[in-house]
Amino acid sequence: MQISWNWLNEYCRIPLSPEEAAARLTVTGCEVEDIHRPCEALRDLKVARIERLAAHPERPDLFVADLDTGGGQSRCVTAARNLKSGDWVPYGGPGSVIADGTVLGRRDFDSIVSEGMMLSAEEIGLPGIADEFGILRLPQGFSAGEDLVKALKLDDCILEVSITPNRGDLLSLIGLARECLGVIPGSSLKPADMGGPSIGGNWPLPWDGLCLEDPGCPLYGLSLAPSVRIEPSPMRTRIRLAFSGVRSINNVVDATNLVMLVTGQPLHAFDLDRLPAREITVRGAKEGERFTTLDSREHVLTDADLLITSGGVPVALAGIMGGENSEITADTKSVAFESAYFEPLRVSRTARRLGMGTEASYRFSRGVDPSRVLPTLSFLSNYLLGETGQRVEKEVRVARTRTWEKRRVALTRKKLHRVLLWDNMKEASSFLERLGLKEVGGSEERLEFEIPTARADLSIEEDLIEEVGRVRGYELVPSRIPPLLRGNGKVGDEVEAHRRIRITAMSRGYLEVVTYSFIHPRWTEWLRIPESDPRCHGFPLANPISQDQSVMRTTLLPGLLQALQTNIRSGWKDPIRLFEVGRVFLPAEKEGDEHREILRMAGIAWNGRDRRGLYDNSMKDDLLSVKADVLSLCQSRGLVPEFCAGREPFGHIGQTARIALDGEPSGYLMSLKPGILRELEIPGPLFAFEVDIESMLPDRGFRFGQVVRFPAVYRDISLIASLGTTVASVEQEIRALGGPLLRGAVLFDVYQGKGIPEGTRSLAFSLAYGDPSRTLRDQEVDEVHDALRRNLAEKGFILR
Amino acid sequence: MNAIQAKLEAIRNQYMEALVKADGSESLQALRVRYLGKKGELTQLLRSLGGLPPEERPMAGQALNELRQEVEASLERQAVLLAHAEDEAMEASDRVDVTLPPRGRGWGAFHPVVQTMNEIIDIFVGMGFSVAYGPEIEDDFHNFEALNIPPHHPARDMQDTFYLNSGKLLRTHTSPVEVRSMLKWGAPLRIIIPGKVYRRDSDQTHSPMFHQLEGLLIDEDVSLADLKGCLNTFVGAIFGRPLDSRFRASHFPFTEPSLEMDVECFACSGRNPACRICKGTGWLEILGCGMTHPNVLRYGGIDPDRYNGFAWGMGPDRVAMLKYGLTDLRVLFEGHGSFLTGGGY
Ligand SMILES: [Zn+2]
Repeated sequence: MQISWNWLNEYCRIPLSPEEAAARLTVTGCEVEDIHRPCEALRDLKVARIERLAAHPERPDLFVADLDTGGGQSRCVTAARNLKSGDWVPYGGPGSVIADGTVLGRRDFDSIVSEGMMLSAEEIGLPGIADEFGILRLPQGFSAGEDLVKALKLDDCILEVSITPNRGDLLSLIGLARECLGVIPGSSLKPADMGGPSIGGNWPLPWDGLCLEDPGCPLYGLSLAPSVRIEPSPMRTRIRLAFSGVRSINNVVDATNLVMLVTGQPLHAFDLDRLPAREITVRGAKEGERFTTLDSREHVLTDADLLITSGGVPVALAGIMGGENSEITADTKSVAFESAYFEPLRVSRTARRLGMGTEASYRFSRGVDPSRVLPTLSFLSNYLLGETGQRVEKEVRVARTRTWEKRRVALTRKKLHRVLLWDNMKEASSFLERLGLKEVGGSEERLEFEIPTARADLSIEEDLIEEVGRVRGYELVPSRIPPLLRGNGKVGDEVEAHRRIRITAMSRGYLEVVTYSFIHPRWTEWLRIPESDPRCHGFPLANPISQDQSVMRTTLLPGLLQALQTNIRSGWKDPIRLFEVGRVFLPAEKEGDEHREILRMAGIAWNGRDRRGLYDNSMKDDLLSVKADVLSLCQSRGLVPEFCAGREPFGHIGQTARIALDGEPSGYLMSLKPGILRELEIPGPLFAFEVDIESMLPDRGFRFGQVVRFPAVYRDISLIASLGTTVASVEQEIRALGGPLLRGAVLFDVYQGKGIPEGTRSLAFSLAYGDPSRTLRDQEVDEVHDALRRNLAEKGFILR
Repeated sequence: MNAIQAKLEAIRNQYMEALVKADGSESLQALRVRYLGKKGELTQLLRSLGGLPPEERPMAGQALNELRQEVEASLERQAVLLAHAEDEAMEASDRVDVTLPPRGRGWGAFHPVVQTMNEIIDIFVGMGFSVAYGPEIEDDFHNFEALNIPPHHPARDMQDTFYLNSGKLLRTHTSPVEVRSMLKWGAPLRIIIPGKVYRRDSDQTHSPMFHQLEGLLIDEDVSLADLKGCLNTFVGAIFGRPLDSRFRASHFPFTEPSLEMDVECFACSGRNPACRICKGTGWLEILGCGMTHPNVLRYGGIDPDRYNGFAWGMGPDRVAMLKYGLTDLRVLFEGHGSFLTGGGY
């Protein structure tokens, strides 16, 4: 919200500079985000009177004006067509400076020299105050040569204030003035002229009544300007509106806006002759009812919306915007002004649903002061008469279904002390009184306060403590670290596991990334995940910002692939490994269950492209080097994963492994399908893994092994197995058949080809035999080893 | 000097000359044979001692022995020296240019936010807070209602929310975990809640997904002083030195009173009007905090007459950006290798 400093000071005299006041307001909760002076750049501009206006002798598109500039005469050439002799205009002579910083000089227009120029609204920095095209014409009442900035009171400064949603009362000059009184010592209040209007009586034209049918509007007042002339607002109003960031429209609409800026009470003006009937009824909308607001948008309403109607026809969306059908036009002759109280939640709900945040809905949503609804109509009529000469009937029509009691809230010494470690009740009470609360009784231990109706945000003791605390200053509250009475804090399993995993991954050359939890919906298609796979059914967002962030991820793979694509597109060529720990979101396993959020770790390894390096071939990742990473990551949490050949919709048929932890299926390790790589424009190969790490969260501790003091004896074994027989199964056989002395088996050669039957391969293992209590003799080992060979042969292996 | 002594002297001179010339283990072995072998000069001389008069024998024997020992020792010393020289010659010819690139995988890289988050966690764990987690897909009750934000309340405008078709939503803050934790563990309670949160907002300083780290302390007789103490301690620890702080009044529906904490700009301490980090204000907005609203305690099943508490919520992304001098929030979620590795491998 934009606040004119000068205007604010008409309601509260503030003994500080704008900057000092802004700092104080900011610290006490009303944040001033910026201070600017819109007319700061102006230098030496004057008010001048056009003595004589004539056509340029050579140029039909130009006029020549002789100006009275106070001390003398000046001649200006202009293209503006809105001037006549006797007009008052802003004038900048040679050497003066206009809003955009331009220094004016003399300029020759076909042998007539223009000394400086007459100025438009834009050239003095306030484009919004223009009421016609051309030079800004000033009202009568100035004297020639007067300083323009002083004459128009442009020497103002604007505070950009950000008001928190609980403080609807601050959305007005009166409210801000009260806040300044409360938080700025030495300031004094100058109350606005807001006498109560006279209710009832007769209007000079027939009127059938006001009817409130919906509790959403408990108070409604209407005043009448029976014969108005629609014209531009006076200059002073236009400048005030411009400084407040409000566009000037005409005298009637501007009046409602200006009064709202002062009192915080939004008003609406109806063209009385365009109302379908001489009555107003406030009612709930019917489901599906249609209404066109004055911005020409048609809305389909629900029964939660509140309508102002006349003769059964909607004429305004209550508290939000009026209708096209009763809008003020240039031809309007008589005007009815509405001032009402609408329930904040009703207005807020409709405004949010229809996306119609207006100045009015903004204030009604935050709650207007019900005690100010009717006085605002008096303020309006004073303004209209005083500033624009338009007369408003004294009598006001009012309908009311509710009255407002002033709330009472108590402040206790005990709670005050508990929060602020300070309990001077007398001082506390004086802080609250300056904010407009009234002490109405109680004791030293417990004081009771009456809350002004404007402060709907104050309803419990804690609210009062906040008022006292912020006015007194939070810097006065001491700082202490609460004692550890309840024992130490715990990092917990999830953090511990995550830390161990990320450190391991980073030591193995992975870059830690965090990618978005929502992805493009077509990733499931790009990864060829079928309908039958739960990963195909990520939750779509109902209101995404963009399509590429519109479905909750069911796997971490897309985020990593996208990060890689981003890197490749921006020219990255080196090998890169990325990993992420994060949650994926899966539908419930069965109806009625909660959705699942599963913590996973995932990584990808890419060998780069078109990039030469010293060790290229020995350093390239493959499925098995990445398998070593997975193994390390799991081992860092005390788990040894098992790998077996498997399928993934996006996995290379020959290079995909299922990973099991504790015997439970937990993820995959794979080389991405070449077809998918091509589609994603990633030069392959690319290796990836993804593992649920929920089972790694509990700390399993670590079991150390027995110390071996007697060296092992080694024997090799070489056998031929069919290609379908996995190394793991052969190793398992060897271990099962090797007897108690077999300590370990290490595969050291795999051979396939010449000399070996087709469809088979030769596997060679180095076996270690040992006994924890003694050194084995060769003969013993030979016996055991021979037995193993025989047993393997019996199982069908061909031994070499 | 008698004859034997003269002879010994001659052998010694001759030996020393040969030793100096010996240039390898083979020539050393030859020397050993020549002087100490079965037919070696010294061995033969020893045998000839029997021919000496008895009174000369002991002296001659001793002299001979000394020479023997000297030869023995010098041969050994020379062998060591020669082996050493041979090794060095071999090493010198097997040189590796240590400025060649290393082979094997290097250190990867950490993500600034995850790193910062972990540092923040440790600071608060040190003050007795334990880590708590909760779901990222939330319901309206936990994300709004239980935090004193009723339906249609304008406070909801502050947090533009992503919804799922089911009516559930992506949590807009980590605060719902406060309520869940209160319901689960009751009072007293000291928790911190790190995690991802989501809001419909995207520009240079807003990302639709970002991180929050929230804290809650509930006990008997908790004061704003406790809140200030914990948060001042945190700020000093995360930025490496005690920094001045200021607490401004603010508004959050779930705290009363509500405050915002600003810390002294660690870059300029307010002394540089052109400071890029604090924009010349001297202050950095760092977090929102306050005393837990009694309604929130009630929703959490805690008696607000007996217990009270404080809570705060901060953005680790922002803390990380300040700490590492970053300017674009969205870069944090794009996984650029050039960014994460500090410019490339
Ligand atoms: Zn700074």
